[in-house]
Amino acid sequence: MEKHILRRKFFNYLALLFTIISASWGLFWLFFILFDVLRHGLSALSLTLFLADPTPPGEEGGGLRHAFVGHLLINLIAILLGVPLGILGGTFLAEYGRNWKISGYISFLADTMMSVPAILVGAFVYAVLVKPLGHFSGWAGGVALAIIMFPVIVRTTEQMLKLVPWTIREAAFALGAPYHKVIWQVVYPSVKTGLFTGILLAIARVSGEAAPLLFTSFNNNFFSLDMKGPIASLTVTIFVYAMGPYEYWHAQAWGAALVITLGILLLNLTARLILKRRRPR
Amino acid sequence: MNIEIEIKNLYFYYAHSEKPTLKNNNLTIYRHKVTALIGPSGCGKTTLLRCLNRMHDLYPGNRYEGEILFKGQNILAKDVDLIQIRTKIGMVFQKPTPFPMSIFDNVAYGLRLRGIKNKKELEERVEKALKEAALWDEVKDKLKESGLSLSGGQQQRLCIARAIAVEPEVLLFDEPTSALDPISTGKIEDLIVQLKEKITIVIVTHNMQQAARVSDFTAFMYLGELVEFGPTEKIFTRPEKKLTEDYITGRFG
Repeated sequence: MEKHILRRKFFNYLALLFTIISASWGLFWLFFILFDVLRHGLSALSLTLFLADPTPPGEEGGGLRHAFVGHLLINLIAILLGVPLGILGGTFLAEYGRNWKISGYISFLADTMMSVPAILVGAFVYAVLVKPLGHFSGWAGGVALAIIMFPVIVRTTEQMLKLVPWTIREAAFALGAPYHKVIWQVVYPSVKTGLFTGILLAIARVSGEAAPLLFTSFNNNFFSLDMKGPIASLTVTIFVYAMGPYEYWHAQAWGAALVITLGILLLNLTARLILKRRRPR
Repeated sequence: MNIEIEIKNLYFYYAHSEKPTLKNNNLTIYRHKVTALIGPSGCGKTTLLRCLNRMHDLYPGNRYEGEILFKGQNILAKDVDLIQIRTKIGMVFQKPTPFPMSIFDNVAYGLRLRGIKNKKELEERVEKALKEAALWDEVKDKLKESGLSLSGGQQQRLCIARAIAVEPEVLLFDEPTSALDPISTGKIEDLIVQLKEKITIVIVTHNMQQAARVSDFTAFMYLGELVEFGPTEKIFTRPEKKLTEDYITGRFG
């Protein structure tokens, strides 16, 4: 074979080798972590973990019902606040404000906001909702998560809506439809699976956050439904229990970590399944 | 012959453009006739068509000069209610634009916008529109299925049904068959000829045979100007201008 062809083949295989090594590097750690969580977590799973509240520190037994419920409540607030606002914001950028110069800046800011460290968001909410009111609260935790969720939903909504061809909007306008009805009845339904997937991924993104909750909903060793006071969350509980002195705390933290990992995995899988099953247009 | 629309000294400028895309257009559109707009690509025929229901208003910066009189009212005036204009002057687009909803809801869309809620009335008018659009027999058993499930030609007839369900006085067609096969095209052409009994039709087409087949009047446009307008038969057999003759005999375009 000619020399330059051999050389190309050599570099081709070299490039292939490097990409395989890089991919394996990432996958190795991912599976290492997953396997570790599974190994430690499975043995900690039991009905008591979900149904019982914590025992006094040092006393074996008990469960994390308080953290599961608190976690769901905080995330529910985040969803109720973050999803509608995010969709409205994205709708502004893609529809009403599409010709405004400021929309481009807002999109850029939303992208920046997505990479702000989550702990900064926690500190911010601490400064505006915790410090002035004088106490930690579940509300503050929900707001912190909603702030993290918001730019993600804004951008996915904007991108989804921009996929809808303009001719279909024109067809609705040509029938005499006002803009809000065009958006609500024609544009949203055109991309409803995409919007829904974006929301699921945004929820998956925030439901594993601990940092923004440390300064906001803080923690609570007792079962509580009072969102005006501090409330436990799975992520903060994992943090506290993992650092704690007791062996059974460690085991429960592993169990909680497994549940939260599986939950996020499930959200991502659902999102992928929905996207896959979307009827081809 | 009654006049439906009269275009007087119409200039049109796209946003950020100093040069007019339409220059001093004067054209009369007769009631319950088919008027075809023909001309080479970029001559402004679609631009002119989209002036008639003020579609250009969806994009900021576009501006009109001159007058378009529809039943004596200047629809380019500032205080005109666009929703009302578009209720009376409907449009069918180049590509089929079914909405992501059932076949029934597609046709009922415009009716519901006008506040018709009575189920029986909706059913009657949807059926009537689908029959007039020659689609009823093909879809009567699957009205609840998505409009997107139909073939391209059926989708286009669905869009026509949707447009005629609200009983407009004028219907604008923007190259309605350019995305369709010959059989679907034939069906839509037959439909256009039938619809003119009740509706005034303006059609933009690249296909000169189509203009000859379906239209009563033809306007030939070139570089944003109206070169010649007259009865279709005369334009295609004895055009007055050399440019028109060159175009219809295929010497350019």
